[in-house]
Amino acid sequence: MKLFSVSHKTAFVVDHCPYMAESSRQQVECDVLTKSRGQGVIPLAPVSKSLWTCAVECSMEYCRILYDVYPTKKLVNYIVSDSEFHILNSWRQEDQSTHELMSALAAVGPPNPREDPECCSVLHGLVAAVESLCKITEYQHEARTTLMDTADRVANRGRIICLTNAKSDTHVRMLEDCVQETILEQNKMAASSDRLMPIQQCELVLVHIFPQGEDTLVSDRPKKEVSSLLTSEVHSVRAGRHLATKLNILVQQHFDLASTTITNIPMKEEQHANTSANYDVELLHHRDAHLEFFKSGDLHMAGSTSRDSGLKETVTLKWCTPRTNSVELHYCTGAYRISPTDVNSRPSSCLTNFLLNGRSVLLEQPRKSGSKVISHMLSSHGGEIFLHVLNSTRSTLEDPPSISEGCGGRVTDYRITDFGEFMRENRLTPVPETLDADASEKIPSERAKAQLERHTRYWPMIISQTTIFNMQAVVPLANLIVKESLSEEDVLTCQKTVYNLVDMERKNDPLPISTVGSRGKGPKRDEQYRIMWNELETLVKTHVGGSDKHQRVLDCISACRSKPPEEEERKKRGRKREDKEDKSEKNCNKDTEDKSWQESERLKGALDREKEEQVESEVIKDSPDSPEPLNKKPRLEEIQLPEKAKGPVSLLTMWTNRITVANSRKHQEFAGRISSVNNKAELYQHLKDENGMDLHENGKAAR
Amino acid sequence: MPTVVLMDASLSMTRPVSLDQGSEELQRKNLAVAGLTMLFEHMASNYRLEFTSLVAFSSLWELLVPFTRDYNTLQVVLVTDGSLGIGKGSLRHSLQTLKQRPEDKKFPLPFPFPAKLFIMCIASAEELQMTDTMDNLEKLLQLNGGDGQIFTMEGQLCLKSVQSMFGRLIDAAYSPFHAVLRCGNLTSDVQVFPRPEPVFLDQEVDPLPKHVLTDLEIVGFIEIGDISSPPVISRHLVLPIAVSKEVDDVGAGAPEELEEETSANQQAGKAPNFCVLLHGSLKVEGMVALVQVGPEWHGMLYSQADSKKKSNLMMSLFEPGPEPLPWLGKMSQLGPISDAAENPYGEDDSRSPFPLQPPVKRSYAQNVTVWIKASGLQTDVQKILRNARKLPEKTQTFYKELNRLRKAALAFGFWELLKGVAELLERECTLLPDTAHPDAAFQLSHAAQQLKLASTGDSQYSLFEHNINPMHTDFSGGGVGV
Repeated sequence: MKLFSVSHKTAFVVDHCPYMAESSRQQVECDVLTKSRGQGVIPLAPVSKSLWTCAVECSMEYCRILYDVYPTKKLVNYIVSDSEFHILNSWRQEDQSTHELMSALAAVGPPNPREDPECCSVLHGLVAAVESLCKITEYQHEARTTLMDTADRVANRGRIICLTNAKSDTHVRMLEDCVQETILEQNKMAASSDRLMPIQQCELVLVHIFPQGEDTLVSDRPKKEVSSLLTSEVHSVRAGRHLATKLNILVQQHFDLASTTITNIPMKEEQHANTSANYDVELLHHRDAHLEFFKSGDLHMAGSTSRDSGLKETVTLKWCTPRTNSVELHYCTGAYRISPTDVNSRPSSCLTNFLLNGRSVLLEQPRKSGSKVISHMLSSHGGEIFLHVLNSTRSTLEDPPSISEGCGGRVTDYRITDFGEFMRENRLTPVPETLDADASEKIPSERAKAQLERHTRYWPMIISQTTIFNMQAVVPLANLIVKESLSEEDVLTCQKTVYNLVDMERKNDPLPISTVGSRGKGPKRDEQYRIMWNELETLVKTHVGGSDKHQRVLDCISACRSKPPEEEERKKRGRKREDKEDKSEKNCNKDTEDKSWQESERLKGALDREKEEQVESEVIKDSPDSPEPLNKKPRLEEIQLPEKAKGPVSLLTMWTNRITVANSRKHQEFAGRISSVNNKAELYQHLKDENGMDLHENGKAAR
Repeated sequence: MPTVVLMDASLSMTRPVSLDQGSEELQRKNLAVAGLTMLFEHMASNYRLEFTSLVAFSSLWELLVPFTRDYNTLQVVLVTDGSLGIGKGSLRHSLQTLKQRPEDKKFPLPFPFPAKLFIMCIASAEELQMTDTMDNLEKLLQLNGGDGQIFTMEGQLCLKSVQSMFGRLIDAAYSPFHAVLRCGNLTSDVQVFPRPEPVFLDQEVDPLPKHVLTDLEIVGFIEIGDISSPPVISRHLVLPIAVSKEVDDVGAGAPEELEEETSANQQAGKAPNFCVLLHGSLKVEGMVALVQVGPEWHGMLYSQADSKKKSNLMMSLFEPGPEPLPWLGKMSQLGPISDAAENPYGEDDSRSPFPLQPPVKRSYAQNVTVWIKASGLQTDVQKILRNARKLPEKTQTFYKELNRLRKAALAFGFWELLKGVAELLERECTLLPDTAHPDAAFQLSHAAQQLKLASTGDSQYSLFEHNINPMHTDFSGGGVGV
């Protein structure tokens, strides 16, 4: 349905003239005496509704269904007409509720039978309705403002539903002529106004209401064109039940609704709680919920039956057990708001309360063949019930290749858990719209994207690409540094993290350097720390642009980390590829810090490829700063001892180291000696570990 | 969209094509076969997940390669030389007698499902315009709702021009959709399959189609329970593709290249890819990623598993617009949780900011009064009487129900009912047993009097927002009177 179709604006004109106070002559017995109390009590005489009461309650029912199915953009303007017109609400969205209208109707009250019938006419209301249709709605206004130079695309159409008691067919023609003339008149005025729009199309629906037991003076007439602007139709209906049925049919026609009856709803009996009976509940909703049936021509097979007068059709769907749970993601091709036809009946309210409590129910399409096809689901979201259409046709995506067969599918050490954590931190939340929003302020979804950008400046995808993210000790800093701005306290926490790392290094604690793809023990301890510090610097550098406080964290790292003169070291290595890397690294540092991560990512990719070729390599090459393979160039500087930092290396040490390295290639070193300090190995270290004093070697300690 | 290829196998297709140099004699059929071979090869290399079926027809038809499944949308490629034949059963005759066909022998177009019709003519446009062929073919397209295109050969009928014609078809309907999936700085090159079709919204206000952009930008993440089976307009596989492997143009992917490609894919399988990471975490966490695919157009990425435990990254597209899912609110208003004063999910993940509640409750959630059926009115009156007999214990419920009835009666101008119920309450008063609490009688006559006053229409007593309050009484233990 087009947004600005005739259904965008509905003007109700309800006749409030003295003759509407007449009784509908449909009597309601409201004193239902129970057997035990029946004796000797005279029952209350049945009450009967006036024509006015019938008109009002049926129009309210029309609005109730309309507002349930279309809470916005389908607007009603309610007008009452006697010796003058009374407009009970406006087109504004906040005026659109049955409660508002009922309150206004109570103030109007029933028609005054003593009022002079000569002064009273429904014409006053019809004229007001045409004027009102010319008034621009907030949606029309908004669309015109956004479309700017193509504002003429915004159409102005509307419908007038007039509930009255007409005298004769001639009287009806007079009313039509009056509406036609008023439209022409008003359109002239509207042409020269900003807040008014000429009416392009108007549908007049005249409902003539007459009491039970009387013959109608007005004949039914299907829709006909009065002019290019106006169509008119006449419905002549008895007050009471018939009027209600008529307006129910009209609301379905006017708003493209269709009916579904849910059958076999198991319900506990009110009186006998242990027995259960099956009930049916009829729901109205947009007719697209039945689109699949129309397309497949299955409508009749789907259990469509004619109801009541045979004027209305409903599709039957069967309640299905077991129920579905909310964490299942169904393939759903549409979701349509519903309104129960008989909102107050016990079966209806049982069903709606069941759904409002957060449960969902699958619905089955009855088929002759006996095969079970689940075609719909009823579910509530935030106090609104929707009929979901589930896809029941087969699709081209039924047998897709598995993700493990594609790019990146063979990699097994993705940081799945860490990214899960990342996703939870980057969950979304609705941010209330502020009226005085700062124009310079980013909208919430842009802020969400900006946060994702900050959080991913340095985010290695696999475990063997990272050291710091496998260390529990780095977590406080890693969590804080991605923040847009840091507090003094945050900086302090980051600094503490760094000091803690320094402490670990001093104690020579092992690091969770990955040994994936390498044989043996991997790099030496101090080399591990060098890798760790480099990586930490890379992470923090990507955020330095953010603020001075971020810079202070980086400064702290630079000041605290052990500083083997990297550049010199590299020169000694003197390998071409290394030089190239250096250059690119320098460029990185000179250029935007932000880019360095992408750059290193790319290099990592290149290195990874190289790794495939060098299966013999003894070293993980997970970052550009990775050391060279040990077996190719065992250099002294690779195996510096902790003392080195304190002063020049003695000849003896150098000699011992050389011998050690030479020996180490001939045999496998004792585990104890590897982790010894000054050739003293601590025994029963595992006891310490078990007491939770240390890190796990591989991977993070459990959070 | 699955493709049915209809191949004209009538005698006229064997007409030789006149070539200047008498090199090799070619029939129109050969040209058609060459074109289709090219199309199938393209699909085999760039559009592998497409399902195809081949039907040959002349006056009869034969299904050469059947579909293995049923589908709800199709693409039909009709290959013909445009010789429409004569007499009964010919297209010309069928179109002329379109309206005279009996109900059970309807013309097959329009198809009962959405379908695009592509007509590949092994003939030049001039040739077709000489007769009324072109008009008839255009009529076919119109019958199908205009969705489709007629392709003709340009220049001389030869292998080269048939290839260029099929090249145009491939561009129009079978070019793979490549995009970049972004989550901040984490990215992956992907192919989206099937290719997302342009979407038309309210054509009156906005006649331009909406296209999915080639930048798919993740906005954030939402739990599956919170997004709760949203309606989607289409579903697409998101397949990571190797960056280095630029997909060639039309006609690429000859069989001998396939092997090379496979090894390239194996290579790519070992390099970490963001799609795989994202898919793994979405699956483990039971979440979806909200992805922006255009201005005011969103979708969701999630892990889709089939019965064989194979799973893949899937993207479903929501209806374009600022607020496709009422329970999430406006997409532009979804921000990071760090925006909120306190974590809306709770420190222990026990809460959720979703679903959003609408400002006004729906009728079924607010105990509305409807008296269209007599039973509705009777139930409401009985409810009041039932509570009246249990006064003063039920004072609160009694007045609640009484006020609900009063409001509705005032709105409907149903004053007669107010008088009637007042009489009923007075009668109840006279029927009270001797053992009844004295407060009961006072409350009943008070309520009856108030209803009567309201039924006069006196504005002092008939205000809609006004409520009848319980009468103040001095009886100790007089229930909840105040």
